[in-house]
Amino acid sequence: MSTAAAATSGVQLFGVRHLSPTGAIHLRTFLDIVQPQLVLVEGPSDATDLISQMTLSGVKPPIAILAYTEQLPIQTVVFPLAEYSPEYQAFVWAAKHGVEARFIDLPSPVSISLRASRRAIQDHNEAGDAAQQHYHHINERYERVAELAGEPDYEAYWERCFEHMDEPGAYRQAIHAFSREMRELSESEERLHTPYEAAHNDIREAYMRMSIAKALEEGIAAEKIVVVTGAYHVSALGADMAPMSDKEAASLPSIGTKLTLMPYSYYKLSSHSGYGAGNPAPAYFELAWRCLQSGDRGKLSSLYLASIAGQMRDSGTYRSAASVIEAVRLADALASMHGGQQPILKDLRDAAVTCLGDGELSVVADALVRTDIGTAIGALPEGVSQTPIQDDLNRNLKMLKLEKYKTTVTTDLALDLRENRRVKSEEAAFLDLRRSFFLERLQLLQISFAKKGSVRQDGATWAENWVLRWTPEAEIEIVESIMKGETIELAASFCIKESLEKSANIVEAAALVKAAWQCGLPTSMEDARRTLQQLAVEAGDYSQISAALRELSILVQFGDVRKMDTAVLIPLLQQLFLRGTLLLVDSAVCSDDAATSMAAAIIDMHTVSQQHYDLVDDERWQQQLEQLAYRDDRNAKLSGLAFALLLERNKIENERLAGEVSRRLSPGIPADIGAGWFEGLSLRNRYVLLSRRQLWEQLDLYLQSLDEEQFRRSLVFLRRAFASFEAREKNAIAELLGELWGLGVDEVADVLQRELSTEEQQKLDELNEFDFGDL
Amino acid sequence: MDQKQNILRQPAELLYAHELSALKASDKGERPEGWQLSPRAVLTFITGGRAGDVDITPKYIGHTRLVEIAIATLLTDRALLLIGEPGTAKSWLSENLTAAIHGDSSKVIQGTAGTTEEQVRYSWNYAMLLANGPSEEALVKSPIYRAMETGGISRFEEISRCASEVQDALISILSEKTISVPELGKDMPAARGFSIIATANTRDRGVNDMSAALKRRFNIVVLPAPSDLETEVTIVRKRVSEIAANYRLGSAVPEEEAVRKVVTIFRELRSGMTVDGKEKLKQPSGAISTAEAISLLINSMALASSFGDGQVAEEDLAAGLLGAVVKDEAKDDTVWKEYLENVMKKRGADWRGLYRACRELNS
Repeated sequence: MSTAAAATSGVQLFGVRHLSPTGAIHLRTFLDIVQPQLVLVEGPSDATDLISQMTLSGVKPPIAILAYTEQLPIQTVVFPLAEYSPEYQAFVWAAKHGVEARFIDLPSPVSISLRASRRAIQDHNEAGDAAQQHYHHINERYERVAELAGEPDYEAYWERCFEHMDEPGAYRQAIHAFSREMRELSESEERLHTPYEAAHNDIREAYMRMSIAKALEEGIAAEKIVVVTGAYHVSALGADMAPMSDKEAASLPSIGTKLTLMPYSYYKLSSHSGYGAGNPAPAYFELAWRCLQSGDRGKLSSLYLASIAGQMRDSGTYRSAASVIEAVRLADALASMHGGQQPILKDLRDAAVTCLGDGELSVVADALVRTDIGTAIGALPEGVSQTPIQDDLNRNLKMLKLEKYKTTVTTDLALDLRENRRVKSEEAAFLDLRRSFFLERLQLLQISFAKKGSVRQDGATWAENWVLRWTPEAEIEIVESIMKGETIELAASFCIKESLEKSANIVEAAALVKAAWQCGLPTSMEDARRTLQQLAVEAGDYSQISAALRELSILVQFGDVRKMDTAVLIPLLQQLFLRGTLLLVDSAVCSDDAATSMAAAIIDMHTVSQQHYDLVDDERWQQQLEQLAYRDDRNAKLSGLAFALLLERNKIENERLAGEVSRRLSPGIPADIGAGWFEGLSLRNRYVLLSRRQLWEQLDLYLQSLDEEQFRRSLVFLRRAFASFEAREKNAIAELLGELWGLGVDEVADVLQRELSTEEQQKLDELNEFDFGDL
Repeated sequence: MDQKQNILRQPAELLYAHELSALKASDKGERPEGWQLSPRAVLTFITGGRAGDVDITPKYIGHTRLVEIAIATLLTDRALLLIGEPGTAKSWLSENLTAAIHGDSSKVIQGTAGTTEEQVRYSWNYAMLLANGPSEEALVKSPIYRAMETGGISRFEEISRCASEVQDALISILSEKTISVPELGKDMPAARGFSIIATANTRDRGVNDMSAALKRRFNIVVLPAPSDLETEVTIVRKRVSEIAANYRLGSAVPEEEAVRKVVTIFRELRSGMTVDGKEKLKQPSGAISTAEAISLLINSMALASSFGDGQVAEEDLAAGLLGAVVKDEAKDDTVWKEYLENVMKKRGADWRGLYRACRELNS
């Protein structure tokens, strides 16, 4: 490149495309020939310590290096590696030959803080748009190269021209030349349109030159150093540019980070989803890698198409070996039309569609996705550098026999929390319960591995359905949780504690009590209880009280299922219930709008009073209900509801009912009060109402007594009241009224069955258009 | 030459004879046995390009990759089956492929409900058969038979219109690549280069479904409707001017604006959605294909030249549109009227004239 003798001259550069099997195989040959004493790889230099761990036995790529900041908000950077990544193969070679390998790119503290400042700049001016346009332009250029070569897209061009190059020396030269020329074409534009990106790139390359220069200073001969970088950087790592000085390096911004290894998935690697450094068909490239390793690239087409046919057979669509043969032949013919020796992925896919899918993509789409992307995820053995919380997660998965659920395929898990009496050990007997605790904790930490599904059996508190799916995001979320605690349990407790400090009302606090109960964290539950108790002293909002009571009531009732002592909650339950009881009559002064939520709250309170009649002061509750029921200065709907609740519990004799109904529905009472009361009354058990004929007589008389205007107003309330009635119940009412009006049951039924006449329909339509807005 | 000028519709190899000869002259690629052009040159012939200093007009626009797959299929001496909605240029592609590869697109079997197995294999000149007994002279060879003799390509149009047993006669031909004539005690093996291009209509699905055994012997390529408005406008304009020249219609070729309107209407009714994707539409019962848009425009040109002033007017288009959309009186009539009122009427001044013309016809 340049003759000037500078700090980095003479080192052996090998440009690669990340995630390229051919690059990996050629790099391996190159290393065999050069026999370097040091291998330098583009990657965060603070992760050098992890290199030796990445090639330990038991490590199964794809894996990734994850750097995360120690402060909130957590920022991460991920550096994924597949087995066929040239970088990974460089490590494998180095480990095998006892040669040192190092990363040479900016350390993660610097790259993360540089990224943050770059983003901040771009978000704040129009640079973002210019950058977008620039990238678009660059992409167009790559596509144009592909078009000139007669290929449909750049990916196809790359595969046909570079992946299929069998001569290692030619490969190295070709990729260097190609990248250099493409870079020359775009470099000046880049400085103009995306100055920050270009500057960042300059910093990185200067840093890499510095790392190389340092290695040389250590006295290793230049020709015994191999540098593996993205092909784009090759021309900038030559000798003619100065490396970064120590002083400059020290002045780079930096933010505290930690590093860890994590398993990665092919799904993430495929460009379907974020993090940039992907390739579209990781499982296909792995197949290619296997073929290359066995020295028989030609096997790839038949292997690929046969595995598609296999996938199709597995899912019930039979495809013969003869069809696979035809597909291979077609793929070969397609490749030869482009002057290629071998089909590329696009040829293979098209051949699969034509020969295995009868020309329809939809037939083979599923098999294609499985064969191209696959569901493989990586694995790390115990003891390999991980954050404590990752270790804890794996320990838990193993202990709870959940390891097989760590796949990218969504799997359902049904739990039965009751004791399993068929097993001997206590541990095994409550396996599902402990699993539930664990999964609840993950859910609390917002780790997307576990999601609670709905339970089909209503009210079966011992049954739980979970939907489990492992993704690299979940792994990242786990690592992020390290900020909250070293283990899942500690992190979950911390999470509850944090929320408790923020919780402002008893509903939130009660929800946290429940969360702690679900996660099996007695200490946190006690903390939450104490917070709830403190907040309860001040609590005055009726719906909040009832909502908190509802949660507590469930806990007290079913606390046993999770083997947690919820008796401590009983005093709190009693206290809150009493509060609710005493506040009832006062709170019942409210507008009709507020009455809806108030009614729900009263019904909740009533449910609690019946479920825990032995614990709470039910008698006082009834007294308060009675007071509300007979008061005329409270919201009529709520009074009606209180009356209905009493009626339901058989606390009202027939004469009393008659008296009250005629009082509430007597002529002269305004429609909104009369009909509003009836609405409240009908919120509860309708059969009780239907069996009281007197009630309906009274309602009938009342409605007849209203004048036109009042009648229209009452309709609003009556419509609302009857809206929630079932058709059967409405019919029963109609028949009842029919009887009152001296019509036979049959006649009424007849009228009800008949279709509406146009005139009647018109009247109903008029009613619909009636403007209720002013009421 | 005069005779050629008088033919109503010329086969592709004559229509594009100069393009084919230019391609032959400049073709440097390797020609598979029995082919008159290299696969690359065939692709150029179909999708357009240049050969020496001759412009090669594109014959099939939009889906180059599908043409590649079709050519690659014939390279592997597999039979090719083109499937698609009516009017997606299946026959057109099959004719041009045959013309380019083999130079003779006339060996055609038209599949109908009345097609017999004899028409697929061979039959006899019965007068000669009775007079002299079975002999080579008395044999009446089917197009497939002739294609096998010379190593050419035979076309089988609308294969799914044939009865299943007739279709299945192809199975042995495609797998053994030979026809046996027991009466003469001989087998007729296919020469290299022999293949069959069949076409089938998706609208016929379920009428005479092809057996799995037969399907397996074909590589199937599904031809879609043109992917976007621009492509379809290009296709329609190109074909219209070609056909108009052929039919010597006395009127001017419709303006791009008119073509665009027709294609827009067709695309919207076909997909059941307005071009901007904002409004859902009812779809008519029949298929409204690109081919119909072409014939509609040709039709309106004929109307304009015979009864009008030689310029395609909006009235001429309207008549054609009505006929193309409303095939089933009862259902399609409302579809068309709704389209006029809900979509066309609101399109603004440019569309006003066409809307009025359509409305007049409708009332």
